[in-house]
Amino acid sequence: MATGISGYSSYIPRLRIKKEDYAKAWGSFQAAGVSEKSVMGFDEDILTAASKVSRRALESVPLAPAKVTRFALASTTAPYLEKLLSGTVLVNVGMPSSTFASDHTTSTRAGTEAFVSGIEHVKASPGGVAVVATADAPRASMWDPIEHPMGAGAAAFVLSSDNLIAEVEGYASFAMEHFGERFKPAGDETLHDLNVKKFFASSFTTCTTMACASLLKKLGTKPEDYAHVVIQQPDAKTPGSVAGKLMFNDAQMASGLVSVNLGDLGAASTTVGLVAALDAAKVGDRIIVISYGSGAGSDAISLKVVSDRKPVPSFKTQLEKKEYIDYIQYVKLKGALK
Amino acid sequence: MAHVSVPMYWRTIPQRYKMVGQKCKKCGAVNFPPKGVCKYCNASSEFDELQLSGKGKVHTFVLIGAGGAPPEFAEQMKAGGSYPVAIVELAEGPKVIGQMTDVNPKDVKMGMPVKAELKKIYTEEGVIRYGFKFAPDQEGK
Repeated sequence: MATGISGYSSYIPRLRIKKEDYAKAWGSFQAAGVSEKSVMGFDEDILTAASKVSRRALESVPLAPAKVTRFALASTTAPYLEKLLSGTVLVNVGMPSSTFASDHTTSTRAGTEAFVSGIEHVKASPGGVAVVATADAPRASMWDPIEHPMGAGAAAFVLSSDNLIAEVEGYASFAMEHFGERFKPAGDETLHDLNVKKFFASSFTTCTTMACASLLKKLGTKPEDYAHVVIQQPDAKTPGSVAGKLMFNDAQMASGLVSVNLGDLGAASTTVGLVAALDAAKVGDRIIVISYGSGAGSDAISLKVVSDRKPVPSFKTQLEKKEYIDYIQYVKLKGALK
Repeated sequence: MAHVSVPMYWRTIPQRYKMVGQKCKKCGAVNFPPKGVCKYCNASSEFDELQLSGKGKVHTFVLIGAGGAPPEFAEQMKAGGSYPVAIVELAEGPKVIGQMTDVNPKDVKMGMPVKAELKKIYTEEGVIRYGFKFAPDQEGK
């Protein structure tokens, strides 16, 4: 039986900061291709954002929260390092306490990790319904240039075998040992990065191309079969650098390149990109999603759109609803002033 | 600080996280937040649980500015500036007090439709206190 996405939603906080404000503060803005990025309000975190998108995703089907049998939450920015995170969302949304809930938190690959675990649940449990919520607002020291691209956003999916918008055709993964790039040692509050571009690029390229190539081989599909290509977006240039190696072109990447306006969405990067691509897709379109997480690993997921049902509010509506803040306000909201 | 202990907060999670109210078995009025005795008929302490929709409209509101915030909200005020606090008339009848969120304070109007959303209220004893605030209800528009 076909399984896939029965409902989905995104949430983009309304606050934005422009690259010009960074340049004014630091002399330059080191987030290639990013023109502005989204910022969470003082009273938001990944759990409030995940609650909001999970509700919206269920309403888009529509499906009662009581029907959910699996909940997977993904973020790299957990408000607690130890304590179940998904329980907060479960209670707010009204999903049953018997739902198997899991937290995926240690790399930006967490979003697809949660998505794949949701799909595996639905495949293994006939009649099962999984909600996958990805929400992130990654943070680093304001002194570190890796902080520049970090934005905020969330996306959620209802996965089942009924009432599909897009069928999941298959997925493939690649994981290996890599270090020195985007890591947070235990007990440390800030993210570390050696900032060696080549070192990062070799890991990013290896993981994403291996995951993608093995998926295409498994499904017998070709790069040109995909109308929409979503690749992990630590900035707005990096995904393009591997797209070429995978024989994807800019036109295929256009619908899901959300980092230009939102920045690096961490564990929600490819999932918000997927929402943007689903909003733009026509029935019959194929979408491929390729995530990356430092450490390192990648998941590639192939989807085929089977219905033109589009949830509201659309990704575009939220993209246009914005209010700008300056760098001082940004630093205060990020809690970077101790 | 208006101290609410962790166990006391925990006991009120259904009303704070998902707006579970109560319907008086005697007079049928909806109480929110939940009460020991119905505040409308003062004659019954028997209720049915009722999941509120979280929707309502702004009955009236005030802006809390510099120096006006209680200690638990002082940091929020310093980081984000003045914030609106509203009395919201819920669709089911009760009027409740709550902060407004996801809105520019100057866009808040009496009568505007709002809906409750889970937000961080404040942090005490290392525990993030989540609860509802009211956001403009204009989704999809």
